[in-house]
Amino acid sequence: MLKRLYVDNFRCLVDFELNFDSINLFLGDNGAGKSTVFDVLGKLQSLTTIDSNVKTIFKLSDYTRWQILAQLPLIYRKEKENMSHQVFILEFIGNGGIYEYELKINFLINILASASNDTFMEWIIESERLWFNKKLLLNVYEQEVTTFSDDGVEYRSSRYNFYQSIISLLKPDELNKKIIWFRERMKRLVILKITPNTIVGHSLQKSQLLDKTMENFVSWYRYIFADNQDKLTQLTESLQEILDGFIRFKLEQISEKALVLKLIFKTEELDQNIEFFFDELSDGQKVLVVLYSLFYGLESQDYTICIDEPENFLALPEIQPWLFQLEDLCSEGKLQALLISHHPQLIDYLLSSPIGYWFERQANSSVKVKPINSELQKCNESGLSMSELIARRWLSE
Amino acid sequence: MSKSRIQIVLLCEDKQQLVFARHFLEKMGFDKRKIIPLIPSVAQSGEQFVRESYLSEVKKYRQKCNHLAIALIVMTDADNLSVKQRLNQLSSILQENNLPDHQKEEAIAVFIPKRNIETWIGYLKGEKVNEEDKKTYNKFLKESDCKPYSENLAERCQRQEKLEDSPDSLNIACQEFQRLLPLLN
Repeated sequence: MLKRLYVDNFRCLVDFELNFDSINLFLGDNGAGKSTVFDVLGKLQSLTTIDSNVKTIFKLSDYTRWQILAQLPLIYRKEKENMSHQVFILEFIGNGGIYEYELKINFLINILASASNDTFMEWIIESERLWFNKKLLLNVYEQEVTTFSDDGVEYRSSRYNFYQSIISLLKPDELNKKIIWFRERMKRLVILKITPNTIVGHSLQKSQLLDKTMENFVSWYRYIFADNQDKLTQLTESLQEILDGFIRFKLEQISEKALVLKLIFKTEELDQNIEFFFDELSDGQKVLVVLYSLFYGLESQDYTICIDEPENFLALPEIQPWLFQLEDLCSEGKLQALLISHHPQLIDYLLSSPIGYWFERQANSSVKVKPINSELQKCNESGLSMSELIARRWLSE
Repeated sequence: MSKSRIQIVLLCEDKQQLVFARHFLEKMGFDKRKIIPLIPSVAQSGEQFVRESYLSEVKKYRQKCNHLAIALIVMTDADNLSVKQRLNQLSSILQENNLPDHQKEEAIAVFIPKRNIETWIGYLKGEKVNEEDKKTYNKFLKESDCKPYSENLAERCQRQEKLEDSPDSLNIACQEFQRLLPLLN
């Protein structure tokens, strides 16, 4: 389970810290920084799991803007050598202990000696560290890489470059299972803003990782369900209760490499079944299929799902049953969820437990977060629901 | 009418009550997709929420019960009061608004754990409990941990098994559920 996140100097997140539970709800005005937390997790996932480059993952706009404005003039005047680094710390509970991962990124600016004062800017990984139960597993700093095998033996080597996470480059072997566990756990962060009209109805290959918009849902579906009949049966039975007339899924080969996902429905009128391409479903139906696929595809495997507005596109009566199931899975330890929502039904139901965080920020200042708990009863003499408190802007008072 | 077709509005004081009642109903064969939870947020007083919602939910039930398969189940802790006193408190809310108390033939039921739901759960876990105690029995770290005990109660309820040495408030609730059950079927 993801336990803690610390971020400094990333967009509006300055000296920012959050502790997580099995289910978490982020609330706040537009622009308060909720989705930025998901962006951080997504970037750290890309850096540590894919052979990605910090220069392509992080951009100048990811640096806290007012820090840039304050520090750049000093750098131009050579009164300061570098920008303050960005810091990211993640903590996970799992594999029988606690992992702590720390990444420091530096934004280097070289002012070229030219008449136009051109600048050369680039991101580098200043340091990367990983601990397990407070024992160092990896220490990357300056030119040196120090790794510790699972039994504590130290190995030293030199860095290839300053742009890639060492964790993403390691080849699994018998001695680095703990580090590789962390890398695999990072892959099990599923960060989504479901956009049903971008989902492609066919697949060229299986995919373990889902795109943020779920564009590659069918490829992920193949990875998760094609060889797991039990999971597929559970998903099918669940959707039979939800989608009127739904019978089953069908993956159909349409070319040497491509498969399409179809859903088969019964019809009373024709006394025969009708096959629909996934693309032909309504946006709401697609989202229902996707949301329940996440449950049956990911449960009991230590996944963290981060969904920005999961209730989008859902009919009102469909929200509560989904919430019941999500809550059951999370409280039974089969899944962890981080949700962002503005929907009153979701807010009022989930915040019957103290699992909410209120994000707020003034213009061009850093995000402040406060937990939503029973302390609020003292200032809620009117007995308003949480969604009403938010709608009236009384929560901040 | 099958059990799964009935819509049950579940008005509860807190999440622990709701989770307990929901698992009980699911085990009894009711469809969780037809359960409508009404529950206060952490920023609201639970007891006040139930009192304030009770009147409007009874009205809604009575408006719709003739043409929809619906039921209203209410859970509220007795706390320092007796079960009867808490029931009277809810009845007086209806009376003050010139409405009759809920009738035997209505699918409205009020379940009142004394002192609170933790007393019932403590009993179902096999602990020796006294509902007159002012103490609150151990709360679960996670509300869902009550599931096996709630389901166990449902199984015993299906068998119409007499509960031994059980708190009076739980016995009253079981009788009330037996009254309600034919109305839900």
